[in-house]
Amino acid sequence: MTQLQTSDAHIEQIQIKTKVKVQPENKMISAANSASKTCPTCYVIAAEDFCFYYGNSVGVKNISLEMFPCTVTAIIGPSGCGKSTFLRSINRMNDLIPHTRVEGRLIVNNHNVYDKRTNLVNLRQQVGMVFQKPNPFAKSIYDNVAYGPRLQGIRSRSQLDPLVEESLRSAALWDEVKDDFQKSALALSGGQQQRLCIARALATRPKVLLMDEPCSALDPLATARIEDLITQLKQNYTIVIVTHNMQQAARVSEYTAFFCLGELIEYDKTGKLFTNPNKKQTEDYITGRFG
Amino acid sequence: MRLLIRQLWDKFFTGSAVVSILLMVLALVLILGPMLARGGSAVFFRGTVEFRKMQLALFNRGDVEEITAESAEVAKSRKVIFDTLNHFRRGIETEHLIDRARKIYRDYGDQLRQQNTPSEQYILLRSQAKKIRNKLCDAYESVDKNQALEDLGWVIQQQDNTNFKGTLLEELFTHAREYKKVVQSIDLTRREQYAESLNEVQTILRELFGPLPGEPTPSLALFQYGATRWDLAQKYLHRLLWKEEWVQTTPNQPLVRKEFERKTLFTGTELESIFDEVQNNLSAMLKPSRTFYWQYFIDDHPPGYYFGGVGPEIVGTLLITLISMLVAIPLGIISAAYLIECAGENIIVRVIRTCINTLAGVPSIVFGLFGLAFFVLYVLPRFHLSPKECILTASLTLALLVLPVIIRASEEAIRSVPRTYKEASLALGAGRFRTFVTVTLPAAAPGILTGIILSVSRAAGETAPILFTGAVAFAEIPRSLLKQTPALSIGSYVIATSDNVGMNLPHKQYGMVMTLIVLILCLNILAIWIRSRTSKKLHGY
Amino acid sequence: MSCKKDPIGYMAHFNTKNPIPKVKAAEFTQPLLLTPSEDWKGYLSNSAGRIFLFAITFVSVIAVLLIFIFIIREATEFLTGNNLKEFFTSTGWYPTHNPPEFGILAIMAGTGYVTLVALLLAVPLGILAAVYLSDIAPFKLRQIVKPIIEILAAIPSVAYGFFAVLVFSPWLEVNLDITKGTNALNAGIILALMALPTIISVAEDSLSAVGREIREAAYGLGSTRAETLIKVVIPEAHSGIIAAVILGMMRAIGETMVVLMAAGMSSQIPSPWWDLADGVRPMTATIAQEMGETPKGSLHYQALFAIGFFLLLFTFGLNMLSEHFLARVRKRKRG
Repeated sequence: MTQLQTSDAHIEQIQIKTKVKVQPENKMISAANSASKTCPTCYVIAAEDFCFYYGNSVGVKNISLEMFPCTVTAIIGPSGCGKSTFLRSINRMNDLIPHTRVEGRLIVNNHNVYDKRTNLVNLRQQVGMVFQKPNPFAKSIYDNVAYGPRLQGIRSRSQLDPLVEESLRSAALWDEVKDDFQKSALALSGGQQQRLCIARALATRPKVLLMDEPCSALDPLATARIEDLITQLKQNYTIVIVTHNMQQAARVSEYTAFFCLGELIEYDKTGKLFTNPNKKQTEDYITGRFG
Repeated sequence: MRLLIRQLWDKFFTGSAVVSILLMVLALVLILGPMLARGGSAVFFRGTVEFRKMQLALFNRGDVEEITAESAEVAKSRKVIFDTLNHFRRGIETEHLIDRARKIYRDYGDQLRQQNTPSEQYILLRSQAKKIRNKLCDAYESVDKNQALEDLGWVIQQQDNTNFKGTLLEELFTHAREYKKVVQSIDLTRREQYAESLNEVQTILRELFGPLPGEPTPSLALFQYGATRWDLAQKYLHRLLWKEEWVQTTPNQPLVRKEFERKTLFTGTELESIFDEVQNNLSAMLKPSRTFYWQYFIDDHPPGYYFGGVGPEIVGTLLITLISMLVAIPLGIISAAYLIECAGENIIVRVIRTCINTLAGVPSIVFGLFGLAFFVLYVLPRFHLSPKECILTASLTLALLVLPVIIRASEEAIRSVPRTYKEASLALGAGRFRTFVTVTLPAAAPGILTGIILSVSRAAGETAPILFTGAVAFAEIPRSLLKQTPALSIGSYVIATSDNVGMNLPHKQYGMVMTLIVLILCLNILAIWIRSRTSKKLHGY
Repeated sequence: MSCKKDPIGYMAHFNTKNPIPKVKAAEFTQPLLLTPSEDWKGYLSNSAGRIFLFAITFVSVIAVLLIFIFIIREATEFLTGNNLKEFFTSTGWYPTHNPPEFGILAIMAGTGYVTLVALLLAVPLGILAAVYLSDIAPFKLRQIVKPIIEILAAIPSVAYGFFAVLVFSPWLEVNLDITKGTNALNAGIILALMALPTIISVAEDSLSAVGREIREAAYGLGSTRAETLIKVVIPEAHSGIIAAVILGMMRAIGETMVVLMAAGMSSQIPSPWWDLADGVRPMTATIAQEMGETPKGSLHYQALFAIGFFLLLFTFGLNMLSEHFLARVRKRKRG
């Protein structure tokens, strides 16, 4: 912990000056060069002893893990264990909640997102989020998907149209809505709305997609379609998915993290975690003895 | 047994709760019903030809040819009455006749001089004429029928005197003959009473039909036309036919009001017939027809404030309300946005909320006092304007009154936008301001709109704050913001407490308050409808 | 380049059947760090925005301050120069006499009379109606009754006054054999109608805020509906109901037009004291009636401001009191 506490600003300064990454000595965190240009398979998201407090109560404590590009990482655990808290910290969505406190570092693309000088707009455009309950805006389908690109300044229809089409295709919604874009987004079914939210998130060309229990409000058929979607998307995006459904985690992810009561109990490849977990708590949870 | 008592209590309690609601609904119906109904008669009524004449003359409305034709018809049917009246009047208004006789005598004297009659004959003729004149005047003045007949007989005999043939004195003889006829038919002793009663009848006829033919046009518009509405005409007709009297039925008790037929006052005279005539033919004389006077809402008041509509008041109310909304709406929505989005939980925010609540609780008359002391007497001089009440000060006062309502409604609307909307927008990279304007505000718009509509209805109905900060009754549409203005609310107040309008034009009283109520009801129903629609969208019920 | 792909070291157990495909990760194209100038600009515009919003919101505070300042200014000029005791204890209000008398005891009594009548009628009816709306009425009926109550609340006070003086007053004179129809009773009844919607809405809110659990507990023990309501729910909701009554009282005290038109405007305490069919003149009506013709700045003018000041103080106090009770209701709602 102490080595990492060489102040962030200090490290950043050095990095800016020398364009060389300082190697903190810690087994958990590998030394990374500038971004992923030279190291395409390095971690995208990393947490170093990350703690998050709501006032006095603990959200998550001492989380240290890494997530890799173009993979699907699932976070599982019983309710109230801090999965959503951790997920929402990655793109600073927890800022909406007053009286919170943060310790440790949460690094996305070699940048501590809780640095005071973080460019939140860019961060959120490149780390997209899909929420638990589908929340399309009360606008047309087209305007929903085009909302993100319009924020980035893309206004002309000639540029927006292909973007919207690509996002809708990626979200496997294109065939169903291509006849009528001006229909209100609220007129779609639940599953379609969630895919619309995914399309909307994809329209900003994010590098990372955070999904907070995306299927919990949907019926099994829609859930299956979204899981297929995730499997397709992971070829091009890094996906972190929080789910309370262990089978879903097993189906979809490559890496799984098990949280319990705010702490990271185990983080491993999915196959290993579900068949031969290291910790007893994990085994208890997986076999259903609690939670 | 105890269970039974408890169940009875339960039923009683439920019953009383239902009764209280029913009482309120009943009260609502009782209050709105008469006012709307009577006020409605300002717009829907049976208007007479007098009404159409008035509309043409004052507002240039209507077909000139048609109205002229109608007037001619009506004049024909009224002619009977007027002729009878004139005839009778001449019998009664003896002063007039006396003056006339005197004048004829003087003119005769002039005529003699002109003809250069020799002085002896002149004196002779003049003294004879004088005797005739005096006898005639005596006859006019006497109350003894026989004596009058005698005098008249003597006068008529003088007709045969050849000296008087072809002179002005012929007229005297005509009058004498006519008067003889009158004397034979009426009871002279009651001539005084006849005069008084005749006056009364004439007044009522003027109210019914306008100025009697031959009379000069009165200067007040009020008197230029007869009964413009059929219901008014009926009222006047009743007054024509029945005279009221206060008699003492039991001693030492207050007088009781009784009515008796006015006809009986004129028994035996020719005037007796006009009562039935009027009663039977009134519709021919006034030609009532169903009128939909929707221009009531846009008509100005012509001078006299007797006819016309509530146009200026509506314009005044709309102006005041519009300007106060222009001030209050931005202030309100921005304050609500700040309170929800940016404000923390510190003491300053608590002070702000307390102040908003205080503003909501200040009595409306105190707002009026403040408006007077601050806007009129303090702010206006600062801008080198004269400290007089005007639309600007009234609107600003109303804006303050309405501000807390808008803030509360906006706060509630913005707060009810689900948090996930905001989160979705932020997660896509939009800034806080952007998110608020493009996502939160449109979602909260129906609620805010409802709040605005309710504040508009509140501002339109308030009277106390504008009583002495800029609104007056019976004024014209203002031409500048620095003048005073009429308004529906203050007009209703003043017109409700002015008695003479109430006696003659109840529909005008009720009309103004009905306009106000209809305006506010429409606004409120609109707000309720918007709210129910969005509630269905957001909550499903 | 010592970049470990798999620092946790589980690659050793990697299942070769499903290897992690070696694709180029999408690169972050936009910097995640704000440049100093961007940082400053963001900070400034953020602060400027907040300050602007705060200033606009602060207008309400300024408005309240100004109201107090200006009313107190005129009122104190009167109060310091004249006999305070006479002001409060004398019943003679003759501002146009020479010398003028300013005693507001009768006027305050006028306000008291009409408010008392209004509350006596409105509080029981209001609570009963609120109970009906929250517990007894079926859903559809509630949808109909609530708009009716809103319309009752929306009718402007001039219309109520109009009704009181032109319809209600003659009816009173004819049917109840009262000599003058505009009196404390008339004004009180109409004020009750105006205060009812306020009382009903606040009381109903607080009755609903009590929640289903308490009601279920009472019903589960075998109470009838009346017993549940009277013995359990209403006592639970007492802070809200008190707040409702206070707000209704504020409405009745602050109402001007109805009392101006219907209360009779005779500045005297009714005699005998229980004769409600006597005319009274409440504070608001006094101000409204006399302010129009009073020369600005005169003693009479300041005396009217003094009355306004007491009105303001009194309603302010009532407002604070009702806020206190409403805060209790909110605390309960949040649980």
